[in-house]
Amino acid sequence: MVNVIDNSGAAVAECVKVLKMKRHARIGDRIIVVVQKQRNFGPESGGAVSVSAANKVRRGDIRHAVVVRTTKKWQRPDGSVVKFDDNACVLINKGGEPIGSRMNSVVGKELRDKKWSKILSLAPMHL
Amino acid sequence: MSTPTHCIRPLGPLKQALRQCRAERRSYATTQELYPSLQTRYPPPTPGFRPSQAMKQNRFEEGMKKIPVAQPPRSTLKACPDPIAAVTASQLTTLDPTGARARLFAHSNPDRVQPGDILLVRLKNSTPFSGICLNIRQRHSPIDTAILLRNQLTRIGVEMWFKVYSPNVESIEVVQRKEKRARRAKLYYLRQPKHDVGSVEGVVRQYQRQRMGGPVGGGKNAKGRDANAGRKKNNQRGRN
Repeated sequence: MVNVIDNSGAAVAECVKVLKMKRHARIGDRIIVVVQKQRNFGPESGGAVSVSAANKVRRGDIRHAVVVRTTKKWQRPDGSVVKFDDNACVLINKGGEPIGSRMNSVVGKELRDKKWSKILSLAPMHL
Repeated sequence: MSTPTHCIRPLGPLKQALRQCRAERRSYATTQELYPSLQTRYPPPTPGFRPSQAMKQNRFEEGMKKIPVAQPPRSTLKACPDPIAAVTASQLTTLDPTGARARLFAHSNPDRVQPGDILLVRLKNSTPFSGICLNIRQRHSPIDTAILLRNQLTRIGVEMWFKVYSPNVESIEVVQRKEKRARRAKLYYLRQPKHDVGSVEGVVRQYQRQRMGGPVGGGKNAKGRDANAGRKKNNQRGRN
């Protein structure tokens, strides 16, 4: 289970496949997820109709995503180690463009090395 | 005529050959007396004689053969009794020439960094990172010293290990000390939601303002201005 931190409408997703790899994913890796939980955009949006209108994805959708945070410690080339409290991802389409238009929390800096600078520029903070 | 006899007694010639052989052997005993040249020159060996024993006794002992070998190399132990310590010292002189970093983590220093302190680590090619020090790891030599900082950024807990003597670390500043000494060396319990202190950004921001010489809190207006200033700073960080 990974948190989805963009405004695509998904809140929690489940990783079903790590692409181009036969092992675990780390920050910047592309994965396939199944959306498990939808996000509710505040009480003022109200009603199931508006929720579905705001959400670009629905529960049960199979989407591509990029891992942006991991709870597993990751050692960087300079010797520092980074570890987040949760696993998080950002949904993308097949072409690699993010589905959401904004992101709401910190992401790992490894995205730059993996050529995900579009996601990095959307993030409010990167570490 | 012979053919029918063979048919009747098939082993007849064989018997005859054996008889002849026996007669020859009987005559051989007498030949040695007849011909002295065939007799052995030496007396027969004594009953207890063992040839292998005799050879061993008669061998000339000259000890082990000396094989020429090269001289062993000079012991490096004498040249440098503790190479690890020497390397550590030389590394420390290059990485921490003033010794300030070492003093910050020395056990002899009463004002050293301790778990629970809020630290600010400025980096060469990255944004500074601040957080509560959860753990100070000193492995086998002081050069490996590292600190574990924990903070919350955008309400997500983040932990980072920094090597104290890394050339990438520009400075380590103590923002705030823990009022009471922590009773544990490793404050991993701060990861639990029950004990989590949350973000220390506010404390760090106040410390930075103090260092810059700006106003430290005060009236309502000042507060508002400060809050704005903080937000601006935050934005800048996000853009980096």
